[in-house]
Amino acid sequence: MVKRYIVRLKERLKRQLAVYKPNAAWTICYVTTFDLVSFLLRSEFNKTLSTAGFHQEMSSNCNAITVAIVTWFDYCGATLGGLLPRRPKRVPFRGPNKRNANVKMMNLLRTGAAVLAISAAAGFVPAQANAASVPLVETGSSLLYPLFNLWVPAYTASHPNISITTTSTGSGTGIAQSIKGLVNIGASDAYLSDAMVKAHPDMLSIPLAISSQAINYNLPGITHLKLSGPILAGIYEGKITKWNDPAIAAANPGVKLPDHEIIPVHRLDGSGDTFIFTQYLTNSDKGWASSVHYGTSVAWPAVSAGIGANGNQGMLAAAKANPYSIAYIGVSFADQAAKAGLGQAELLNKAGNYVLPTPETISAAAASVANSTPADERISMIFSPGKMAYPIVNYEYAIVNAKQPSKADAAALRHFLTWAITEGNSMSFLKQVHFAALPPAVVELSKAQIAKIK
Amino acid sequence: MKLRPFRLAVLGLSLLIPAALCAVVLFLVLYSGEAIFFNGLHFLTQINWNLGNLYGDPVVVHGIQVPPGANYGMLVFIVGTLASSGIAILIAVPLAMGAAIFLAEIIPQKIRPMLSMLVELIAVVPSVVFGLWGIAVLVPLIGHYLAPNGSGYGLLTASIVLALMITPIIASTLLDALLQVPKENRESAFALGATHFEVVAKAMMPMVRTTLIGGIVLALGRALGETMAVLMVSGGGLNILPTSLFSPISTIASFVASQLDSAETDPTNMSVRALAEIALVLFFITLAVNACAKLLTSGALRVRKRA
Repeated sequence: MVKRYIVRLKERLKRQLAVYKPNAAWTICYVTTFDLVSFLLRSEFNKTLSTAGFHQEMSSNCNAITVAIVTWFDYCGATLGGLLPRRPKRVPFRGPNKRNANVKMMNLLRTGAAVLAISAAAGFVPAQANAASVPLVETGSSLLYPLFNLWVPAYTASHPNISITTTSTGSGTGIAQSIKGLVNIGASDAYLSDAMVKAHPDMLSIPLAISSQAINYNLPGITHLKLSGPILAGIYEGKITKWNDPAIAAANPGVKLPDHEIIPVHRLDGSGDTFIFTQYLTNSDKGWASSVHYGTSVAWPAVSAGIGANGNQGMLAAAKANPYSIAYIGVSFADQAAKAGLGQAELLNKAGNYVLPTPETISAAAASVANSTPADERISMIFSPGKMAYPIVNYEYAIVNAKQPSKADAAALRHFLTWAITEGNSMSFLKQVHFAALPPAVVELSKAQIAKIK
Repeated sequence: MKLRPFRLAVLGLSLLIPAALCAVVLFLVLYSGEAIFFNGLHFLTQINWNLGNLYGDPVVVHGIQVPPGANYGMLVFIVGTLASSGIAILIAVPLAMGAAIFLAEIIPQKIRPMLSMLVELIAVVPSVVFGLWGIAVLVPLIGHYLAPNGSGYGLLTASIVLALMITPIIASTLLDALLQVPKENRESAFALGATHFEVVAKAMMPMVRTTLIGGIVLALGRALGETMAVLMVSGGGLNILPTSLFSPISTIASFVASQLDSAETDPTNMSVRALAEIALVLFFITLAVNACAKLLTSGALRVRKRA
C-alpha cells in the first residue's frame, strides 16, 4: 500500500514539475538575485541597525534581524517568480481537479521556497564554534561582550584545544544560566547578591576588568556641567524638573542654564549600567536609597517627561534626538557620545571633588578599593573614597560555578580566566573598549578564586 | 478495520496544535501560581511595578519569599497596550479601507495584481524594520514638530508604527472580500443610477462588513502582541499612566521582553513568575480578541434581516 502511495506521489510530482518548470526556474533566478542584493547590502543593514540602537552589544539580534530581512527579500523573490499564490482573478473558474492540484503544488513550492530562503539567510550568520576538544560557553553582559569578542580569537589562536562561544544576552541571563549550568561563564556587570550566594554557595563572582559610566547631557551651548548624586536623584525622581533649578545653579556658578524641562533617559532593558547608576544615587542620596534603591532594573519614579531606551546605543540615540535630555551611558561609548554633541558631566565624588571619567580618575577609584576588596570580591566600587576617584566605576564579573561538570571543563575554564586577568588585561585589548586593568592586588584575589574551580 | 496511515498521521499532527496550546496555558498558570496568589486581584488595578530590592535579603509575605519592597501591578501596561492598539486601529482602518476600495474599484485591472501583491508584501515586513523606521524618522519628526517637551518617544509614535504594520492586513482581507462581491449587485446599483461612491458605500460595503470587522480584529490581535517595534519607540513609561498622546507608555509584550533579564537576577524568582502572570493576562486578552473575531465573522451576532 505504501508503495502505491509513493509511486502515485512520484507520478504527481513529475507531472506538476513539468507544468511548473519555467516558473520554478524564474523563481530561483529571482531568489538568487535578491540574496545577492541583500548580501551586498548586509554591511549597510548592520550600519543602519547600529545607528538605531543595535550596536555590536546586541549583535545576536543584528544577525536575527538580517536573517529576517533576507528572508523577506526571498519571499519577494519567490512571489515575483510566481511560486507563491497570487490573488485569484476576478472570475476564477477552473476545473475542480486542476485547481486542487494547483493549490497543493503551491504549498509544496512554498515550502521549498521557505527552505531555500531560510538556508540562504542562515548562511549569513557566521558559524562561531568549531569542533574542538573542550568547548566553553559564555553568555551575559552586553557591556563585556565586545571585550570577549576581542579576547576569544586571540586566546583560541594560541590555544586551539579550547573553543569558546560568546553570546550577548544581558547580565541577568548570564547569572541565571550560569547557575543553571547551561553555560560555563556568565558575564555580569553586577556581582551576585547575598541572597543569591546563600542559595547557591558554589557560585563565584570573579572580576575580569574595570568599566565605568559617563553622565551625558544634551544642552545646546553648554560644555561644562557639574552634577552630584542628590541632583541626579532629584532629576530622576521628578523633584528637579527644570535645568535652571536652584540646586543645579548652585553647583554651576557662572553657567547660564536654560529654563527648559529636563528629559531624563533611563534604560528599559535590564542593565548593569542601571545597576551602577542607581547604586551611585543610592550611596550618595538618602532619599533615593529609601525609595528606589538599586538593581539592574528599578521601579523608576514617575517623571512625566522621562523616557526609556534600549541598550547603550538606544540611550545615545535618545539623548541625541531629544535636546535638554540627560542620560547615563557606558564609557565605551564616550567617543560616539562626543561625536553626537553630548557633554560629559563632572560628578561629585565622596571626597567632595568634581571629576570627569578619565583613565586617571578611574584608576584612582580602582586603587582606592583594591586593598579593601574581600576574598569573594563582591564589592561595589561606586562612590569610593579616593580623592580624585570617579564615582561610577565597577568591576565586570565572570559568574562561574566552582563545580564544573567535568575535570576538562574546569581546567579549560581556569586556564582561560587566568589568561583573561593577566594577558587579557593588557591595554591592547582594554583600550579598544575603554576599560581599565585590574589592580595587581585584585588580580591575586581573582587568581585565588579561579583556583577554586574544580 | 482497515488501517489508514494517512488519516492517523493527520490526526496526530492536528492534535499537536491544541496540545501545544494547552501546554502553554498550563505552564503559564502553574509557573505563575505563586505570583497569582501573592498579587491577588490588585495586580490588574495597581499602577506600581517594583521588583523590590533584589540585593536585599528576601522577606516572607503570606508564606511566600519575595524581595523586600516587591510589589507588582500591571494596570499601566494594560492601558498602554489597549491605548496604543486602539489608536493604531483608528488610524489604520480609514487608510486600509481607502487602499482596498482604491485597489478594488479605481485602478485598471492590469495594474491591480501588482499593487495588491505590494500590499501583501508590506504585511510580511518584519516588525523590527518598522521599529527602525520609527526611531530613525518618526521619533525626530514628532519630537521636533509635535511633542510639547520635545520627546518623540511615546504613545503616538508607537500607535503610528503599529498602524502602519496592521494597515496592509486589514487592506488585503478587505480587498479579497470586495473582489468577491457579485458583479450583479454592483451593476444593478449602477443601473439604478447610483454614483460610484454610492455603489461602494451602499451596495458593496454592507456585504463585506463582517469581513472588515474580522480583518480589524485580526489586526488588533497583531497590534496587541507586537513587541519589538513598540519597545523601540514607546519610551517605556513605568509606574505612570499616559496623560497625553506624547506620554511614554509600555505595552505588555514589550515590558515582558525588556524586564526578563533583570527578573532573572531575583534570588526568589518571584519577578519571573510575575512576568509569567503578565504573559497569562496578555494571552487571555488576545484570546478574547480572537474569539470576538470568530463570533463576528461567523455571523453569530448579526441581526437577521426580515425576509
